[in-house]
Amino acid sequence: MRLLTHNMLSSNIKGVTNGFPLRIEIEKVVEKPVDFNPEFLRNMFPKIEWKALVNAARSMGYVELPEEVEPSTLYSEDFLRKFHHALLELHLEEGALVCPETGRRFPVSKGIPNMLLHEDEV
Amino acid sequence: MACLSYQTAGLSSSTTTRAVLAPMCHRRNRASTVVVGASSRKRGLRRLNAVAETAAMEAVELKKGIAELYDESSGLWENIWGDHMHHGYYDPDADVSVSIPDHRAAQIRMIDEVLRFAGISEEPPTRIPKNLVDVGCGIGGSSRYLASKYGANAKGITLSPVQAERANALAAAQGLANQASFQVADALDQPFPDGEFDLVWSMESGEHMPDKAKFVNELVRVAAPGATIIIVTWCHRDLGASEKTLKPDEKSLLDRICNSFYLPAWCSTADYLKLLESHSLEDIKAEDWSPYVAPFWPAVIRSALTWKGFTSLLLTGIKTIKGALVMPLMIQGFKKDLIKYSVITCRKPE
Repeated sequence: MRLLTHNMLSSNIKGVTNGFPLRIEIEKVVEKPVDFNPEFLRNMFPKIEWKALVNAARSMGYVELPEEVEPSTLYSEDFLRKFHHALLELHLEEGALVCPETGRRFPVSKGIPNMLLHEDEV
Repeated sequence: MACLSYQTAGLSSSTTTRAVLAPMCHRRNRASTVVVGASSRKRGLRRLNAVAETAAMEAVELKKGIAELYDESSGLWENIWGDHMHHGYYDPDADVSVSIPDHRAAQIRMIDEVLRFAGISEEPPTRIPKNLVDVGCGIGGSSRYLASKYGANAKGITLSPVQAERANALAAAQGLANQASFQVADALDQPFPDGEFDLVWSMESGEHMPDKAKFVNELVRVAAPGATIIIVTWCHRDLGASEKTLKPDEKSLLDRICNSFYLPAWCSTADYLKLLESHSLEDIKAEDWSPYVAPFWPAVIRSALTWKGFTSLLLTGIKTIKGALVMPLMIQGFKKDLIKYSVITCRKPE
């Protein structure tokens, strides 16, 4: 699971008011190279919850993302490379996503999050 | 043209939608019992609670059955048919004895025709999606096609871990790993925040949903303002004005299909339209495309009867074999005008 996906997942357990972002529990992180596409990154940026991405990347061991991003930063190659790396090249292979309110763990196995709710959570 | 178009103006939305909440087909009669009087009301409540519990239990079993069916059979399907697990779109007078590659082309054409029906086009660029969800994504055929076609980001959800893994692998192999990702999740409880997607896509997955109202609620919830919602699904024929249920022989045909394909009770296109209307969505429209999919099941059956198909079937498992055995019933259902291939679209207001 890459952080692009993590940035769009939330916990919808019954009663939870804010299930985003999910905390990340790491057992295995893998880096997989992806072709660099600045246009794609610029298009994705408005859809990204930036703070959630910065924190998620930190929890995966990548601390290079700036806290604040100004419009001009989106044209800096240095920034885009870091954005690219954090968003697309870091994979949580094994671990879990944790609901920020209830602490419930959604397992991530072979890079795939299992977000199925139990019967008492719907 | 033989297809049937629905006008939504004037459709009453006051009719109860409880009829679409029945779990497995054979329970339907019990769930529609009418209750009168105090003591019989208590008995009725107990009965409804029992049905609700049964429904919950059956939903769990249904989800498990669906996951296992697709875990077991996806590989075989992909081997013979490729990565699209939906009907092809054929011209009504087409020669039906076409080859598998022609059927695969028809499956791609189905996606394109559906997009056109929903008012999404490239010339001039109209409602081009940038961020889409593929609800019941199979091995991700639609997601990857749409992601590639529009340069969009696609998220797919499926109950089958085998499918999710295969979908991600195919995305990586096709250089679409940064655009398409797949996870195990329930369409009735999508793991996404509200208003996340500008295209909500459900291609032949609605048939598996045991709670159509909840299914539609979630489609609407994750749709952004102005988003397009597309549902392509198998329905039974609309009931006539004086009909409360389908005829007994019709019900029993659908029951047999349900049991082998892990489908809950079928509903009609009119049922879906009522649900969509209750959400104040715009431009709701539906068409019956049964005439355009007629060659599909005969082609699937033929592919199962080839040496490769037959031996592969024997090697997969009992769920797949059971599914294969009821394929002729799908043809029967279409021929009797009982089963409809329904294409439904609408827009969430801005």
